[in-house]
Amino acid sequence: MKAKTPFEFYTSSQLVEITGQKAGDLKEFLESVKGLDDSSIFYHVHHAFREHQFAPGAYTNDFAHWVETEVGEHALAERLANINIKDYTELAAVRSRIVEILEAHLSRNTAAAAKHGFYFCRNIGIIMKTGHLTWDYESFCTALKRVGLRSLFFHFFEARLRLGKKSNDFSSWIKDNFGNEELARQIEALDPYIYTMDQLRDEIIALVRRASRQDRIGGILKWLKIR
Amino acid sequence: MAKNTIAEYAKFIRPQNFDELMLLAGKVAGRSLRMVNSTAVGGGVAEMLTRVVPLYNELGIKAKWDVIKGNNPFFGVTKTFHNALHGLESEVTDAMLKIYEEATAANLAELSFDEDVVIIHDPQPAGLIAAREKTKAKWVWRCHIDTSHPQPAVWDFLKKYIGRYDAAVFSTPWFARELPEPKYFIYPAIDPLAEKNRELAEGEIDAVLRRYQLDRSRPLLVQISRFDRLKDPLGVIETYRLVKKHADCQLVLAGGGAVDDPEGVEVLNQVREAAKDDPDIHVLLLPPAADLEINALQRAATVVIQKSLREGFGLTVTEALWKAKPVVASAVGGIPLQVIHNFTGLLVHSVEGAAYQIRYLINNPEAARKMGEYGREHVREKFLITRKLRNYMVLLIALDHPGRDVIQL
Repeated sequence: MKAKTPFEFYTSSQLVEITGQKAGDLKEFLESVKGLDDSSIFYHVHHAFREHQFAPGAYTNDFAHWVETEVGEHALAERLANINIKDYTELAAVRSRIVEILEAHLSRNTAAAAKHGFYFCRNIGIIMKTGHLTWDYESFCTALKRVGLRSLFFHFFEARLRLGKKSNDFSSWIKDNFGNEELARQIEALDPYIYTMDQLRDEIIALVRRASRQDRIGGILKWLKIR
Repeated sequence: MAKNTIAEYAKFIRPQNFDELMLLAGKVAGRSLRMVNSTAVGGGVAEMLTRVVPLYNELGIKAKWDVIKGNNPFFGVTKTFHNALHGLESEVTDAMLKIYEEATAANLAELSFDEDVVIIHDPQPAGLIAAREKTKAKWVWRCHIDTSHPQPAVWDFLKKYIGRYDAAVFSTPWFARELPEPKYFIYPAIDPLAEKNRELAEGEIDAVLRRYQLDRSRPLLVQISRFDRLKDPLGVIETYRLVKKHADCQLVLAGGGAVDDPEGVEVLNQVREAAKDDPDIHVLLLPPAADLEINALQRAATVVIQKSLREGFGLTVTEALWKAKPVVASAVGGIPLQVIHNFTGLLVHSVEGAAYQIRYLINNPEAARKMGEYGREHVREKFLITRKLRNYMVLLIALDHPGRDVIQL
């Protein structure tokens, strides 16, 4: 089956800007988070996926990691770590959830000081075409294996939350071109927190290959029925 | 020194990452870039520029590298500045500031800047920004040291130069100070093909050890760094003495000098004095071209130590991790970014802590091996020269799009 429009793989490179904002305790941290722009939120809740590719589960987001290692508020760290970006389609909503968790904590506890402060950064994303263009499931899988993990990051994370597309690019293309809502849903439902980026890519490829096989079998059965 | 081609780096990283590097190079090909620092040899900055400048040219960026000139008084002043920026109490006089300004003026008279981008490394040549108005270039100040707690007198003096750049680049977010221009961070990196890091045959390692009369059958503790108080060589000797009470071992303190570090001789003499009665302590003053020796010593080490009191990024740690060595290092500067405690190495905060962890590693070779493996993978992902080339190309693009968060090419 051929798509109406091809899937074009992009990749993103990042430059990290140091905002100059620093929080020395949880109260300062809360005040800073309230004013953070989308690029900062995006950077701090996502960059562990880019940076720690060989250690799945070691880090979730920077905020949780800092609260755990530098502030020592373990329950709060766990609550922050439990924020799943897949539950959100806007960065503003992620920020609101972080603020809500921090406010709830500070309403019951004093603002613990950190051993080392939190340094806020923001992401400058440079987006480029990779030159890989695919029209069907098989060539999609081959290309996804061939492009870098930054390309996977762009289409799976960056497009969804940063560019406001509400879903990952793979699911949107599959739904719009093949009408396969189940496959689109399965890809969107993959949990990035339990995989390395390599594993996440392999899971997507496995799902698409299975759908591709089912399509072929369906085609053969249809042909036999006509005969 | 034979130059390596960019294609030779492909084997160290994922093929996809290499493809993306080439893709980015296509976007910045034709730009011109000038790097300026204060020393042609000695120290991590000179080492890295030696490697990256030819690679940028191969990638299509017209890159040049200049070294500013300075006499001993000038380098004495900039060493004081260096220590003061690291937060050490240092006396800075008006006469010293004048020496800095005069050397800057002398260099400005000899240099002209016709490139698209000029990257000035560290405080020594920072005053060259005075040429900015006469150029079309974007100016970047690349700071390799930790300026988070500087002595105010020196920072205030330098800020009148540093605050005039188009962008500043630091090695980590916590090294940065407040500046009017945008600030970015780019991790430093090592070159896996450099003489200091390339794979060595066992015979090459053995030959170096024989030359320095080191016994490969006994545990070898190695710290490689310039003879500088901030690297705490005397603390390393104390650490070794604590370890030695429980485990037979040898200690190597090896490092070179740099022309911009006049204090080094004094520290070296103190170290030699502290080590003189113990034949198992080997204090090696290495010439600038001793990269093979450093490589061999790191590869022969049972444990690599980096017990710095303050540190820039700590590229000697990166080198050891790349060689899959267990590392015991102080949790200062950029070291915690590299040594994830109990995963890619062991972080310590004292002589006693260092001694304990070294004893643990000597007696648990399997744990040491595993840490070394993780350390190598960590460096492969984050701290190789290919990633640095990529970051600077991204910086060149970002400089053309000020204020933009998403740049679509």
